[in-house]
Amino acid sequence: MKKLLRHGLRVRSERRASLWRRHDLRLRDGDGIIGSASSAALLREASDSTLAGRAIDGDMAAFEVIVRRHSGLMRAHAIRLLGSNSESDDVVQEAFIAAWQQLPELRNPAALKSWLMRIVSFGCMDRIRARRDAANIDDHDVADSEALTPEAVVTAASRNQALALVLKKLPPPQGQVWELKQSGGLSYEEIGEVLGLPPSTVRGALSRARKTIIQEMEVWR
Amino acid sequence: MNEMEYGPDELDGHTLEELSDYLDAGFTPADPSIDDSPACQMALAALAHVKTATESLLETEADEQPPTSESFIAGILEAISMNVRAGRSIPIAHPSPTARITMTEGAVRSLIRGAGDNIDGVLVGRCTLEGDVTTIGTSIVVDLDITVRWGENLTAKAAEVRAAVAAALATRTDLVIHGIDVTATDVYPVQHKDGEDTE
Repeated sequence: MKKLLRHGLRVRSERRASLWRRHDLRLRDGDGIIGSASSAALLREASDSTLAGRAIDGDMAAFEVIVRRHSGLMRAHAIRLLGSNSESDDVVQEAFIAAWQQLPELRNPAALKSWLMRIVSFGCMDRIRARRDAANIDDHDVADSEALTPEAVVTAASRNQALALVLKKLPPPQGQVWELKQSGGLSYEEIGEVLGLPPSTVRGALSRARKTIIQEMEVWR
Repeated sequence: MNEMEYGPDELDGHTLEELSDYLDAGFTPADPSIDDSPACQMALAALAHVKTATESLLETEADEQPPTSESFIAGILEAISMNVRAGRSIPIAHPSPTARITMTEGAVRSLIRGAGDNIDGVLVGRCTLEGDVTTIGTSIVVDLDITVRWGENLTAKAAEVRAAVAAALATRTDLVIHGIDVTATDVYPVQHKDGEDTE
């Protein structure tokens, strides 16, 4: 049953070619019909695909649900890339505004989440580039010198904590590359472009990051 | 610590990168030289574990975020209200020959969504107006996607939506409707939120 529905049940109207001409009520721009409370509740539970479709058609209420649903994930991703600061909030906000404008070009509305993650990734990279230009040096890349001790990972309280520890200790640009690839869903070429690195360097960094993470996380399997 | 090296020597000629791409591609097209290699399978299991762990870490961090503030949302909504996707201008007949009244396509879509959403157990998705809506009297086709509550009779619900949309358009616009195509794209489960059942 479900499968059949996915393909779509098409019901064509039998009512044809009747000419309706009545004008007892007019609708001005932005009037719209105020949805009932139950349809507002339905909207909150609706699939990304339905919400994206409505937002493409200009439904701001649907877009608001999208914002509430995905802003946490986008913010977590931005914080990873930018460090914990208020900039991440701005980046996420800008990403949503850009998303609203670009939504009509979204080919697969069901892939809304990964599409949003890509937009916020690019936004974060713009910020990082701006920072670098402002500092005018190859700055704050070299923050970590302490070696990752296996004990720290082993004694972490949870798998999440262990992984967070491993990721934090990755030397640049491995951490960024990993985050942009795994959570941002960017391609090697795109990562190279946003970081100003040749794709081969991105590949190499990702490959080293992957190996380190696998080895460090071995004990948590 | 006796770490596995994950080089081509240990992985029957494959690299970790190849295996990672293979994992991301959902193991397609099937590669027997990977599928039949115990070393590759071990590495793939490690990769899959790390992938899951990465996703779960981000989800956890997302959950730990403070709730999205209302001012944050208001800021976004205010900015996007500058771009309301008005679409085409749809003329409305008027007795005075000098008056020109139009309605935006966006407003018509909103009218259609509202009419469909008012049907119990139905949520409207995308909605398009096919045909030249800018010339009065041209017949057009309305195409809309709906999601229907699990267990409902789809044909009956589609008919209800069609009738409601037709009535709303007849009352509020001068569009000549040639047909209203309703496509049920999905079903949604019967909700039980906060312990209360929505019938």
